[in-house]
Amino acid sequence: MSIRIACSEKNIADDAVTELKNIFGATPLKMIVYFASSDFVPQEISATMQQVFAGATVFGCTTAGEIISGRMLKGAVVAMAFDEESISEVRVEVLENLSKMMAVNEAFCSFGKYFGESMDSMDPSQFFGIVLVDGLSGAEEQLMDTIGDKTNITFIGGSAADDLKFSSSHVYANGKAYSDAAVLAVLKPGTSFELIKTQSVSPLGARLVVTKANAEQREIVEFNRKPASVAYAEALGVPVSDLATCFPRHPLGLLIEGEPYVRSPREIAGDSVFFNCSSVDGMELTLLEASDLVGDTKAALDCVLEKLGSISGVVVFNCVYRAIELDKKNLADEYARLFADYPTIGFNCYGEQFIGHINQTATMIVFR
Amino acid sequence: MAGKIKLMIDDIIARRAKGNEIMVKAMKTKLVLKGINPDKYTIRSEDDQAIIGKLEKILQEL
Repeated sequence: MSIRIACSEKNIADDAVTELKNIFGATPLKMIVYFASSDFVPQEISATMQQVFAGATVFGCTTAGEIISGRMLKGAVVAMAFDEESISEVRVEVLENLSKMMAVNEAFCSFGKYFGESMDSMDPSQFFGIVLVDGLSGAEEQLMDTIGDKTNITFIGGSAADDLKFSSSHVYANGKAYSDAAVLAVLKPGTSFELIKTQSVSPLGARLVVTKANAEQREIVEFNRKPASVAYAEALGVPVSDLATCFPRHPLGLLIEGEPYVRSPREIAGDSVFFNCSSVDGMELTLLEASDLVGDTKAALDCVLEKLGSISGVVVFNCVYRAIELDKKNLADEYARLFADYPTIGFNCYGEQFIGHINQTATMIVFR
Repeated sequence: MAGKIKLMIDDIIARRAKGNEIMVKAMKTKLVLKGINPDKYTIRSEDDQAIIGKLEKILQEL
């Protein structure tokens, strides 16, 4: 069984993909997942990847930085190749026009036909899903909510990014580049796997109940029946004028059986606070404090290594906020080294998916 | 009227999780992310049509 990785720092799609092809060689491949800098022309990189790896199922997305075993990159393309033994079956569907409609039913019917069993009866220990979604679509919550209603298998992934330009991000499949879209892949690996959600935050005491929200805009108008910015600042014990500077260190989280599902604040507008993830009326959010990102991630990987015994591949969906924090603290190399012993690819994303849509988190697929 | 939400939540979790503890946890997580915390509803909780509507949508998928 073989899971292999490759990267190229060439900035022309043809050259970069040729380099990947040379690294992977002539072995027949079943599936290729890739993450490419938004510096590449989207149509070119997607068409070239599909053309060069014509026999494989090929999909990916744009990034805000790429990850490969032991290194964090900028302006590159990273890819992971799976042979027939490492992936038994895979099927990809693209959901277009996410902001207008969410054709999850059609995609799930197609998965059902391909795998010979309906999505609501698939065994989560045998199957999982990857979701790559346009990170500027604002559609992740509804997408994950709809998916979750229809299946017990876990969908994990990340929101495509565009190197913090906030202009356009793309998902790739079928040799095409799509905006306002999501790529869904359902996989039956040829080996056991574990899915990780890790975030480096600790709950502080304060609770903020959402009493008025505009979920579609990811806006919270009121906490505890007070203007959101005022209640948030009070919980931190700082003046509202200092609140925004506290955002990276003190996001909020929905605690579910002690496990945080992080909501990262983005900006203050008037009395409202806008987040990178929506909350609805009645949700009780907990004030969080950032903790040891490198140490927590290592602990999560070590725990899975102990469960699986060995690791043949890791796909990392790493929040861009985590990447920014690592850069600020000069810890990016130390973080990258956590993955040095495992064939790993990943990217810095505009949101992470694990059951729902979350922020300031790393979600990971780990293959034995 | 009271208690309908608790009954609907229990029904959804039982039918989706089929006794699998991991699935019970996953289903509870999905409900909390929708804004419905299963731990907050008892047989005495007042029926709230907005919550019932969300739960009916999930039941339609089962």
